Amino acid sequence: MSIATGRAASPLSARSAKKPNVFSRMAAHRTDYLYVLPALIVMMVVIAYPIYYTIELSFYRTPPNLQLRDKVWAGFDNYTAVLSSSVFHEVTLNTVIWTVASTFFSFVLGLGAALSLHREFIGRGLFRALLMIPYVVSAVAASYVWKWLYHSDFGVIGALAVQLGFTSEPINFLDNRQTVLSSLIVVNIWREFSFAMVMMMAGLQTVPEQLLRAAQVDGATPWNRFWHVTFPHLKGVSMVTVLLLMVANFNSIIIPFIMTGGGPADASHIWITHIYQLAFGRQQWGAAAAYAVILFIVMMALGYFYVKALTRGDEARQE
Amino acid sequence: MAQVVLQDIVKSYGSLYAVNHVSLTVDDGEFVALVGPSGCGKTTTLNLVAGLLPMTDGDIVIGDRIVTDLDPKDRDIAMVFQNYALYPNKTVYKNLAFPLQMRKLPKDEIDQKVRAAAKVLDIVPLLERRPRELSGGQQQRVALGRALVRDPRVFLMDEPLSNLDAKLRVQMRTEIKRFHQDLNATIIYVTHDQLEAVTMADKMAVMNKGFLQQYDTPKNVFDNPVNTFVASFIGSPAMSLVPLEVVQRGDQAVLTNEAGWELPLSAMNTRKALKATTNKVVLGARHSTIKLHKSETVGAVPARVYTVEPTGDITFVQAFVGEAVVIVSLDPTVIVRPDEDVWLEFDQERMHLFDGETTMALSAA
Amino acid sequence: MTTTATYERPRVRKPIDWWRWAGRGFITFIMLFATLPMLWMILTSVKTQFAAMQYPPQWWPAEPTLNSYIKLLNPNDQIGQDFLRYFGNSFYVSFLTTVLGVVVAVPAAYAFSRFRFPGRTFLFFSVLVRNMFPAVVFLVPLFILMRWLGLVNTHGSLVLTYLTFGLPLSIWLLKGFYDNIPIQLEQAARIDGATRFQAFLLIVMPLSSPGIIATSIFSFIGAWNEYIYAYTFLSRDDQMTLPVGIQRFFTEFATDWPGLMAATFLMSVPVVVMFLVLQKYFVQALTEGAVKH
Ligand SMILES: Nc1ncnc2c1ncn2[C@@H]1O[C@H](COP(=O)(O)OP(=O)(O)O)[C@@H](O)[C@H]1O
Ligand SMILES: [Mg+2]
Repeated sequence: MSIATGRAASPLSARSAKKPNVFSRMAAHRTDYLYVLPALIVMMVVIAYPIYYTIELSFYRTPPNLQLRDKVWAGFDNYTAVLSSSVFHEVTLNTVIWTVASTFFSFVLGLGAALSLHREFIGRGLFRALLMIPYVVSAVAASYVWKWLYHSDFGVIGALAVQLGFTSEPINFLDNRQTVLSSLIVVNIWREFSFAMVMMMAGLQTVPEQLLRAAQVDGATPWNRFWHVTFPHLKGVSMVTVLLLMVANFNSIIIPFIMTGGGPADASHIWITHIYQLAFGRQQWGAAAAYAVILFIVMMALGYFYVKALTRGDEARQE
Repeated sequence: MAQVVLQDIVKSYGSLYAVNHVSLTVDDGEFVALVGPSGCGKTTTLNLVAGLLPMTDGDIVIGDRIVTDLDPKDRDIAMVFQNYALYPNKTVYKNLAFPLQMRKLPKDEIDQKVRAAAKVLDIVPLLERRPRELSGGQQQRVALGRALVRDPRVFLMDEPLSNLDAKLRVQMRTEIKRFHQDLNATIIYVTHDQLEAVTMADKMAVMNKGFLQQYDTPKNVFDNPVNTFVASFIGSPAMSLVPLEVVQRGDQAVLTNEAGWELPLSAMNTRKALKATTNKVVLGARHSTIKLHKSETVGAVPARVYTVEPTGDITFVQAFVGEAVVIVSLDPTVIVRPDEDVWLEFDQERMHLFDGETTMALSAA
Repeated sequence: MTTTATYERPRVRKPIDWWRWAGRGFITFIMLFATLPMLWMILTSVKTQFAAMQYPPQWWPAEPTLNSYIKLLNPNDQIGQDFLRYFGNSFYVSFLTTVLGVVVAVPAAYAFSRFRFPGRTFLFFSVLVRNMFPAVVFLVPLFILMRWLGLVNTHGSLVLTYLTFGLPLSIWLLKGFYDNIPIQLEQAARIDGATRFQAFLLIVMPLSSPGIIATSIFSFIGAWNEYIYAYTFLSRDDQMTLPVGIQRFFTEFATDWPGLMAATFLMSVPVVVMFLVLQKYFVQALTEGAVKH
């Protein structure tokens, strides 16, 4: 049998390769797009358009009845109005407290629960399931239940506090500027700490048993094992979890909306409830839109990290 | 069964050419091994033959039909995958029956064929199990069985043995060879293990970086590698390659290196060496064609022993000639030690010379 | 003859494993924190209104009664009629959202996993980014859009909106499942005589059913629990979904707390049961992607 052709046998003479342009590549893949088309249409209609529309609206003064014909160009008026309004600072501070405190305590409680449930014991599955129920039920249900628990006259928490001698009178948790925000944060933590728990439990399973054994043989105390072996392994999961919690908390509305409506005297307003109130309560569509755009920008920053965290490893998977 | 012809086939991913103008003919009933290092384009070539990837250029003929534009299902081929690709949610029986169901065969005929194939491969007791309940070797047999039930025109196998342990691999190697002989099947068999190719195939196609390097019988590839790549890829241990310079002394050529020693070449090797495009050549020699001397000898070049690996009936010695490592086999009764100075004598009849620039084998003609 | 060596046996007192006890203490605390509110909800729901409104509270219902539940589930009672209608509406909307979500997400996820078309990464990210934006931002423009599409006061407006909540996560999750199904299985099927579509339907789909179940639970629970869009888009009583409808009964006059707790309990039953039955998938869906094994 003969030797292969000369061209083939000289490995370095690769034919000069010209990269096909984007359009011919798109044409070559045209059937692929059919698969994503329905999803894209839905997402475009319900996302791209609203985003565009919100940005537009933020530059106009619009009549309360939202008749768009009558809108008036307002330039950056809506933005300056929003940023200089008296409640802006309080609402922003509330939003930060709400987001950070909810995220921090949910994460800590979740991590604690995950660590305590990591060891195999009878009833562990039941414990986990029970702990997760608050996360599964609707925030509406949570809001009503806790509203009842916090009730100023017949609330069980107030009564317990008196019985145990913490206070002499039942506290009016929700109708009190000092306590309202923390009370709502407790509800939020109640609802979502088990999300952190589940994430961290999954993360714990990736900690190599052998490393922990090796550390034990090397004489590491339980705390040292946690700090030097377990925790570093949980870094990635923790980051994703914290990010997801932050995004969820930043965007949450139901608990303050149903439990207090932002009151008393704006003490429990966060950005989202405030935007809702501006738009649907006071029909200040332009101002609400301007708020929303500012919020977009904040979210984009968070979003950058979110996408980065979520798509870790996705690129690596593409062969 | 049928022949397979690859006509100048090309597969590019953007600017990367995974398969670069490969042409070869697999005759009816022939067992051809496609070998090359990982990433050289073997799987891609096989997938092109199967029709699993769109081809950038070229044509593929199976039997007397150009199948380039046909779907895999219409090419009448069977394929065995490296990871077996058994359908995990189907029993062994259903795995074997699937290709027949897809071809809408009547139920009793399917049953009969599945049982026949299972019998041939000795997997009858496994028919009701699921793939994950099987050992690697058993999965391998089922995968073969699924290819076999349909009596296709060509078998394509992509590293079918590489997930098995060493012992099972040797055993399955003989079984696949038997399978080929009994069925007189046309088989294209991909492997990165040159030993598999050499022991099983009628012909082997050596690939590197998307290019077909050499297509010939294992013996010819072994004896006459066309370039340094093939020389270093085929054979275990690999052929030793020593880059040297040619100097002409009258009508004789001599090889030399920085150390200053000279190796006079025979008349035929002189003719080869003088064909080189520059004065750089590569001397190639297999371990069994080199003689080791413990004292300075005429016609031998100095070397320094690096490691000594006794394997029982032969001892392999790795020695440095300049920067290059040369492997020599010795009778175990000869004792050499690391760092010892030795002299190597190359068999002029059986040595190879390659062009230092183009890496191609130099021929006397 | 043997010599018996004598070895020293150090006396070791097992120290108290403080970490273990700390863990137990913590678990007790967190279990109480998570379950007591739910327990109080149930206890309240079986009290009479009079028994519920007492200070100090009746810790245990003195005369438990199922009256609240009976009222809510009685189709001949006005409240029961409304409640059951809301329940049906919620179910209809959630079910439709779930089914359409799967139909749309499956091909998209498959394409993102298998194909390498230009713009794939960009499109994939833009789908993911949806989750970043709060619902409120979309309320006004969507309200106008639904008005334009003639969908205001229809369940269609909710289904369309809920789809977009669910899709990013569904696509993301399903893509993860498809990534884990070796492409060789499809290739084998195609060589065995299947078309591309048959290979997908007969081989890939059954293997990705855990993913489909997981995403379905998510879409369903998400749609079932959604409040703010339903609150804004629907104004007709007969169309309301449960989370919105519930408050109508109880806030018009003095709140009937046992009734509200019973309604809350009933509203939670479907999702909790679904969660308990399909817990494994739910947890897998939550953690998929965040944890690489
Ligand atoms: N879908 C793809 N996109 C881009 N490059 C690819 C793709 N598939 C394979 N390649 C590249 O083509 C080359 C040949 O791959 P392959 O045929 O799988 O090699 P082999 O089977 O010989 O190990 C490799 O460099 C690989 O990275
Ligand atoms: Mg390969």
